[in-house]
Amino acid sequence: MDTKQKLARGSSKVGFTAAYVAIMTFLLFPIVWVLMMSFKGYDDVIAYPPKFVFEPTLANYQSVLFGDTGSMSSGAGEFVGYLGNSLIVSLGAVALSLLVGVPAAYALMRNRIGKEDTIAFTFLSFRFAPELMVIIPLYGIFQTMGLYDSYLGLILSHQLITIPLIIWIVRTFLQDVPVEIEEAAQIDGCGPLKTLWRIVLPVIRPGVASAAILAFIFSWNNLLMGLVLAGGRTQPVTVGILQAIGFDQVRWGWMAAAAIVSALPGMLVALYMQKHLVKGLTMGVGK
Amino acid sequence: MTPQHELEATMGDSAAAAAPRQGRRRRPGTRASLKRTYTLMLMPALLLVIGIMVPFANGVWTSLTDKKSYVAGPSFAGLANYIDLFTDPSFLRALGRTTLYVVIVLAVQLPLAIIVALLLARSSAGSWITRRVLVLPLLIPPIVAGLMWKTMLQPSAGVINYLLGLVGIPPQPWLTDIATALPSVVLIDTWAFLPFSALIILAGLQSLPEEIKEAAQVDGAGPWAVFRHISLPWIAPYVVLVAIFRVADSFKQFDLVWPVTRGGPIDATRLLHVMGYEEVFRFSSPARGMAVIFVLWILVYVVSTYLLKVWRRTINTVG
Repeated sequence: MDTKQKLARGSSKVGFTAAYVAIMTFLLFPIVWVLMMSFKGYDDVIAYPPKFVFEPTLANYQSVLFGDTGSMSSGAGEFVGYLGNSLIVSLGAVALSLLVGVPAAYALMRNRIGKEDTIAFTFLSFRFAPELMVIIPLYGIFQTMGLYDSYLGLILSHQLITIPLIIWIVRTFLQDVPVEIEEAAQIDGCGPLKTLWRIVLPVIRPGVASAAILAFIFSWNNLLMGLVLAGGRTQPVTVGILQAIGFDQVRWGWMAAAAIVSALPGMLVALYMQKHLVKGLTMGVGK
Repeated sequence: MTPQHELEATMGDSAAAAAPRQGRRRRPGTRASLKRTYTLMLMPALLLVIGIMVPFANGVWTSLTDKKSYVAGPSFAGLANYIDLFTDPSFLRALGRTTLYVVIVLAVQLPLAIIVALLLARSSAGSWITRRVLVLPLLIPPIVAGLMWKTMLQPSAGVINYLLGLVGIPPQPWLTDIATALPSVVLIDTWAFLPFSALIILAGLQSLPEEIKEAAQVDGAGPWAVFRHISLPWIAPYVVLVAIFRVADSFKQFDLVWPVTRGGPIDATRLLHVMGYEEVFRFSSPARGMAVIFVLWILVYVVSTYLLKVWRRTINTVG
């Protein structure tokens, strides 16, 4: 009996470890592989059988960040320009969303008239709707308004992604704020705006942070908005990478380095704010 | 109510300090102005909704015309585009393919996400690392994830076929064959979104009070019984939430397909969102493209509204 139990426990432990290793390998291997690829020289990239041991080179990163002299397809530092564009658009979009979304979330939470949930769900539904339904018409509208290929136009269109996230997540965190402390502030004569700014905001700061981070990542990762609404001047990093695989031979090494660089901001953020990220993601399911 | 009152309610203490505080808040006029302040706070966001509604309506209108990119002045065509679509085998195939894609994604990813979440909930050592690893795919732009996998899945020179060869599995055509292209995209999709799904479900598992589980174990429930009757009902809202995200995102999948296969080979991975994009930008037919996308929109709306209802019901059951 005793040994049988031990055996069962042992085999379940083996099964557990095997499953765990399998999943982690599946998730991690592509990243490790692309990371390796980004440090490979041209011959090593196309070598078959694929090389796991090779002499690392920084040539790909050099080409991504500073452009390379030999190729016609990529001017010096073009990719850095894409990074800058993405940064401007994503930061701008998140800033605007915070400015607009946090007061809105607060008003939706505290103003009980019965329709707040419907409004909140309407915002959330933007997150689920196919973006092209709005983006393609925007393409025509922006062209007549002069907003096509402009930072402002892109920041406005990115609200489609960032606003629902901000409102929804901040709303979730607001649910945890005890109404009593706000009532105390209001009795002291604070209006809603002042109560929000002075009393509520300091309490929900982690929530606002995680909402902002998630919104930034989703905005940064977006492809369609840039593909349709950006031209040569404001092209984001996602479109830039897409274009790199279009012409001449596909430069896998370059692409790998570009992939790593483009994913870096999100990864750095995640290393520091993993907990907030998860809290934001779960968006107050249940409680 | 005077503007003066409104200002006081909005701006707060400096003006209010002059009046006796307790009494003021009870006056109905003040409450009405409070309501107006809330509306004002909501206004910019609502403006944005309008800003979204305008192009949306514009898009629906376009789908009712015969608009071509190279012809000026489209004219009203009624439901012609829609009738055209629903008698067009290539559209119906895309519709079926998209639905199939969503179904496979759910069938693969929901059980897998629950399993991964259970694994993570059990692993105490190294969970710090695990969770950071898990977040990584989420932070990689889907288009980059698609390209990463495209390099690895190359039939002749890719590392995946090489590794499979080491354990005796013959090389697969992956993205280059009509039969295997769509499943290959599901594979990439699973890599990119499994962590997201697992993390949400893990949060659900962790919110389950230990005592409930222990009580069941004391009563003699085995691991499966505990999972089936305690954990699973508890995490139901989280699973449904994951389903909502995965359904909506899979219906409108574009980022993983466009850079990887452009809808091919032939039309094996032409999902509706891809088809809509092509109609507009490759075949210069915004009218037809918007009709495709509006059908997709309605599909997503109906399904996600239904799932949101289910979600709220599961929350109420648990709560």
